[in-house]
Amino acid sequence: MDNLVFEIKDVHFSYLSKFPALCGISLGIKQGQKISIVGANGSGKSTFLQLLDGLIFADRGTVNFYGKSLSPKAFIDLKFSREFRQSVGFIFQNSDVQLFCPTVKEDIVFGPLQLGLPKDIIQGRLDKLCAALKLDGLLDRPPYQLSAGEKRKVAIATTLISEPQVLILDEPTAGLDPLTTRVIIDLLVRENESGKTIITATHDLHIVEEISDLVYVFGQQRSIVKRGPAETIINDAALLEANNLVHIHSHRHKDKVHAHPHLHSEHRIGEH
Amino acid sequence: MKSNSFVERTIIGGLSFLKDAISAQDYALKAGFLQSLDPGAKIITFLLLILQALFSTRISTLFWLYLFCLALAFFSKINLWFFLKRTWIFIPLFSLFIAIPALFGPGDPWLIVNLAGARLIITRQGSFAAAIFVIRLLTCLSWVVLLGLTTKHFVLLKALRIFGIPQIFIMVLGMTYRYIYLFIGIVQNTYLAIKSRIGCGVKYQPGQEIVAWNIAGLWYRSVGMNEEVYKAMLSRGWSGQALSWDEFKLRAKDGWWFLLVGVLLWIIWFLK
Repeated sequence: MDNLVFEIKDVHFSYLSKFPALCGISLGIKQGQKISIVGANGSGKSTFLQLLDGLIFADRGTVNFYGKSLSPKAFIDLKFSREFRQSVGFIFQNSDVQLFCPTVKEDIVFGPLQLGLPKDIIQGRLDKLCAALKLDGLLDRPPYQLSAGEKRKVAIATTLISEPQVLILDEPTAGLDPLTTRVIIDLLVRENESGKTIITATHDLHIVEEISDLVYVFGQQRSIVKRGPAETIINDAALLEANNLVHIHSHRHKDKVHAHPHLHSEHRIGEH
Repeated sequence: MKSNSFVERTIIGGLSFLKDAISAQDYALKAGFLQSLDPGAKIITFLLLILQALFSTRISTLFWLYLFCLALAFFSKINLWFFLKRTWIFIPLFSLFIAIPALFGPGDPWLIVNLAGARLIITRQGSFAAAIFVIRLLTCLSWVVLLGLTTKHFVLLKALRIFGIPQIFIMVLGMTYRYIYLFIGIVQNTYLAIKSRIGCGVKYQPGQEIVAWNIAGLWYRSVGMNEEVYKAMLSRGWSGQALSWDEFKLRAKDGWWFLLVGVLLWIIWFLK
């Protein structure tokens, strides 16, 4: 198929060869698509994203990037490695992992420096990003002095500065306040509108509709239990309940008690 | 409230020492004279001044160098009381103890002390040698502390490249520096979590066990984080070659500073 960025066929992966994390995953991701991977903790979402970013490799099955198989051997080719790293950006769940330099500025320019971009181009992109994400006051600060929201914004900047065509995000809004969550969602939507492919793993169902054309639900069996448009998945209460993505909430209306699946809506600004 | 627990005092003492090191960085952010100089220029000139102090055999030369250091501290907006505490406590005091035997070295008798029937002769040459030792140490230490206070730690690390220290070494030091503060927070929070469960008093024996768990827990976390950080580096194009964004630029002010130090050293040499 044309414009297929990732093609994943029957992928299996286990940690230390005895703890299975992914069992028979097959899917395709097209250029410019917004994909969400939803699932409870331990369903293999983060492992799957790391496979897509060529950080770990499948025990069985294949992961192809524009038709080329992602394997340890493929990354020995420096040209391919650079092209891949420039094309695919990964934003880790734990920003402290991603921000490993002594200052914010050094962290942001780390990627493009490694990829061999000229300094004037890096400086231009840095200025643009600082203006867009309001990072000017943070550049000389060490990452440990930043708030969780600032860390996440800087982590996103460290990836965006390389101008990747594919953005992979692991729980981008976990633990953030509603305003920062909104900023990040808006940013992802904008990046997608500019043609980027966005792949997000989350169990925050409130952001799924906005950031996905297609949703894959990973189950406790570490495999895909369902795929479909965001609206269909969000409204499938039985599916969500079976996969620990909603909980039954009971409350009283005057003299009647009733129960229904419950989604927390703290990230929806202006909604009550 | 002062804690009676040895374990608590040890943990809090250690952490506050490291946090003091962070807060001392506030001086590096002030708009003072030394802060405005290029770090490379500062390191070279400070090294020359320290070498001058090391090879000086006249107390008056050391005195003027020390006074110059205090004047620079003042013009760099450093609280002099804070600076004197940092330089006078510990090292010069310990050096005094080291210097005491030198007082009784060979030479012309200057002072005779009868101590519990023993006749101790303090010699003129011995006293001079001891005084030179202590003042030289104090002067050198003051210059080193002044450099550390007026330069951001990571900039100081980067400036080490002018001595040909490999970039990879500086990068690893920078990352170590960045993660120490993360682990400080983890240790502190772990201890608070333990305290919230077992109350305020931790006895010596169980306290030792808690510290041992803490060390083991921190070790596991650091190993796990080490892997994650490496993946984050790989994801942004790390190929084993350390590259940095150097911004050291000599300006007219640095030229004047070089001239001032050069003239000072020439005067010392001329007077000698």
